Amino acid sequence: MLFKILPKSELAGLFAALSENDIIGPVHKGDNRAGTPLFDFARVTDFDTLRLDFTSTVHSAKRFVLPYRETLSTFRITKDSWEKQVDFNIERPFVLFGLHACDINALNKLDKVLMGSVYPTPYYAAKRRNMFIIGIDCIPLSSCFCRSMGTDTALTGFDLFLTDLGERYFVEIRSAKAFQFLKGLSLSDPADSDHDLYLDKNTAMNAAFVAHVETSDLTKILDLEFESPVWKDWGARCLSCGTCANVCPTCYCYGVEETVALDLSSARKEKQLHSCNLVDFAEVAGGHNFRPESASRLKYRYYHKHRGFVEAFEESLCVGCGRCGRSCLAEINVPDVIASIRHEEMVSDR
Amino acid sequence: MGKEKTYLGVPVYRPRVAFFEFTSCEGCQLQILNREESLLDFLNLVEIVDFREAMTEGSDDYEIAFVEGCISRDDEVVRLQEIRQRAKVLVALGSCACFGGVNQLKNRFLDQGWVHRQVYGEYPIASLPVRSLADIVTVDVSIFGCPIKKEEVEKIVTNIALGKSIVHPKYPVCMECQANENICLFDLGEPCLGPVTRAGCDSWCPNNRAGCWGCRGPADDADPQRLKAIMVKHGFSLETIIDRLDCFGGFVRESARLRDELENVGQTGSVDPGGGI
Amino acid sequence: MNHKLEFVDVLAESHEYRPATDLKSFEYSHAAEITNVYPMTEHEHLYQLRIVDPEARSRFTFRPGQFVMLEVPGIGEAPFSISSSPSRHGDLDLCIRHVGTLTNFLARVGRGTRVGISGPFGTSFPVEKMYGQNILLIAGGLGIVPLRSPIMTVLENRSRYRKVDIIYGARSPAELLYTYEYEMWRKFDINLNIIVDHPDETWTGPSGLITTILDQRIATASEGFSGRTFAIVCGPPVMFKFVCQRLIDAGIPMQRIFVSLERRMHCGRGKCCRCNIGSTYTCLEGPVFDYWTVMNLKEAI
Repeated sequence: MLFKILPKSELAGLFAALSENDIIGPVHKGDNRAGTPLFDFARVTDFDTLRLDFTSTVHSAKRFVLPYRETLSTFRITKDSWEKQVDFNIERPFVLFGLHACDINALNKLDKVLMGSVYPTPYYAAKRRNMFIIGIDCIPLSSCFCRSMGTDTALTGFDLFLTDLGERYFVEIRSAKAFQFLKGLSLSDPADSDHDLYLDKNTAMNAAFVAHVETSDLTKILDLEFESPVWKDWGARCLSCGTCANVCPTCYCYGVEETVALDLSSARKEKQLHSCNLVDFAEVAGGHNFRPESASRLKYRYYHKHRGFVEAFEESLCVGCGRCGRSCLAEINVPDVIASIRHEEMVSDR
Repeated sequence: MGKEKTYLGVPVYRPRVAFFEFTSCEGCQLQILNREESLLDFLNLVEIVDFREAMTEGSDDYEIAFVEGCISRDDEVVRLQEIRQRAKVLVALGSCACFGGVNQLKNRFLDQGWVHRQVYGEYPIASLPVRSLADIVTVDVSIFGCPIKKEEVEKIVTNIALGKSIVHPKYPVCMECQANENICLFDLGEPCLGPVTRAGCDSWCPNNRAGCWGCRGPADDADPQRLKAIMVKHGFSLETIIDRLDCFGGFVRESARLRDELENVGQTGSVDPGGGI
Repeated sequence: MNHKLEFVDVLAESHEYRPATDLKSFEYSHAAEITNVYPMTEHEHLYQLRIVDPEARSRFTFRPGQFVMLEVPGIGEAPFSISSSPSRHGDLDLCIRHVGTLTNFLARVGRGTRVGISGPFGTSFPVEKMYGQNILLIAGGLGIVPLRSPIMTVLENRSRYRKVDIIYGARSPAELLYTYEYEMWRKFDINLNIIVDHPDETWTGPSGLITTILDQRIATASEGFSGRTFAIVCGPPVMFKFVCQRLIDAGIPMQRIFVSLERRMHCGRGKCCRCNIGSTYTCLEGPVFDYWTVMNLKEAI
């Protein structure tokens, strides 16, 4: 890895140069009623609207690789036959300008199941292979617990990673492409004082963590506590609304629906992000539902994130971004749920 | 029409359909006539034999009856029962037909005589408390919404033509609202019935930063008690919640329950958010 | 300085169609033609399908117990167990019960209809491991469908197996499937026992629970039977729980008892997660599981 120092004034130039491509980045979307700014990822054409000082976005950058709704194939229907067309729904490469470590790691995790396992999915891969990622450091919110999940630093999965040192950025250059793109900008080698600032930044980040999830032995504890009454309590709270799955950077479960056009000359097969909390997640043709209670569905969500994925890939599917907890109207959040399963004190009780 | 239409060799069912309206604004039928670009394809799939808003002639020979509006008079009851007898399939079109719609707000007045005098004066008209179609006859298919979405009607008609079953989303509006990456209305300080209302509208109102009023009725697993807890926690009064739940008639039982609670609050002076929050 | 990113065509990286490993195969389906529709009961039809391209047809290989995804464009896609023998390659038998949109549409199609077939997917019954052993095939209701492929395989290789029993329970005689094949199965020295819950006036066989037959079979088994026996079980959850418990009690090791489980799958490729039991993908790690694995699935079956 190559480390360089980039004056902040140079970033606009990099942005302008990269504007030959579509740029997606964090933008200010509005304020909540307490006056706190809310951010989300969107197409950015004006450098001044790019908010690299964002806290967290409400939604992850997931939709740019895994759209909530996506056409898998279309069919041209003739008298008694048909023809199938497949399109991966991407026309040109794009830049993700300003991803926090948790979101970079989220993509790395999705890669494992969507590209690295049997039946790699081309819809995801086509977008993933056409991204240029610029990471940015952050100060965690009180609800962030990426440290617990080991996702507070990104080791791979980006081209550039910026750490804000006040007047300048500490830049990690990961790809040759990024190195090329930085040519012509006034880069310098980090001085000892930059190292100090970088370490200070690291200390400040560490000091900001409040929420914590104890992951030791978690897969076994989840098995032991499979019948725990605690699940029922959480289930009783859950609205089965699917908000958590939408805001989550790693939820990828989906449903497929086929429709015929009104003129019957074409048909379409679409996937739609589904949530394991939705009432019909495990319903089969004929109506039988394997998980009719909200408690069993909520439990399944935790089993998938914190047990099943760990078994398959030796890491959790959760990156600790805290979005699900912040968005949940019923105030269900990962640190509290895991603590209650472990018979520990919940953060919200402190 | 010439030869019988098929889809992948399977005959397509082209039903004779009729449209009827009872107490309503007739806006749902208007939705169907809007979007001229797909109207011809729509007419290829069905044979419309009666549609007062679109044609002059009418016929009693139909298989599917699309019925808009709620029932608020004696003669409407009789006419609805006649339609039910003739139709193989009766479709409730829109919130009024499904739940009574905005019209059923009338039922909330304790003094119905006063309502009648305010609206009709001395005009001799026998206006009954509002009922949904299902209160009187068997409804085979419901198309929710105020107004209905034409795309949804088109999809349902296509499904009928092909023999596909008609399924509505079972989950609440939040699912669609978050997929549209809206800011949650609660964050903006707006009340919203999204967490309990059946999806399918693609979060039409929240997309425009307006809270959901529940026009599509309750989602399959809806828990209005939980919603109440959330609303109270966000500083909304029971009256606000009841107002919302009352609006389209899909949550009549829940709002009645909350009204009882409100009377108790009147006595004790405190609101219990309930639901463990 | 050029900052334009170069477009990467992901399919350029995959050279040929390799099922399960390359990006091309994900949304690939074989065009298949329905060559015959044979009504078996009021609610179930047997469909014979043939992959249209002769080369793809002969290249199509599967193992007994695996499933395919069948798609009718615009109507739907769903998993179905392959009911035919692997030796017939891409000439497939599927037994389909009409319960949902797709299957009700299939009830109306005739010969010559084109559908899409992808797969085969999932795990299978290890029929080679069973060489030289006794086999108990136990099916309840529609559970006979995934068993028909291993049954055909056993028939084709009858001499390689010792005693073979089929124990089959159905609600009523009218719901029995593959009735036209019973004679043939018996002629291949298979001990076929059928029991129904609700006999009608034509029924001469036994009535009651499937476990009655199984108990008799176990009681009359020769010395050392359990040590030389594999079991293949498929049926409704209640049935196979009781059946498997009896097999275990009779001394058959759990890892020699195989079951086929059913869940709703949307993709069949370990991506949509709809078929997961606990955190196990039925489509990848199943539908065929040995009973030890089933015992370890963290969700009620």
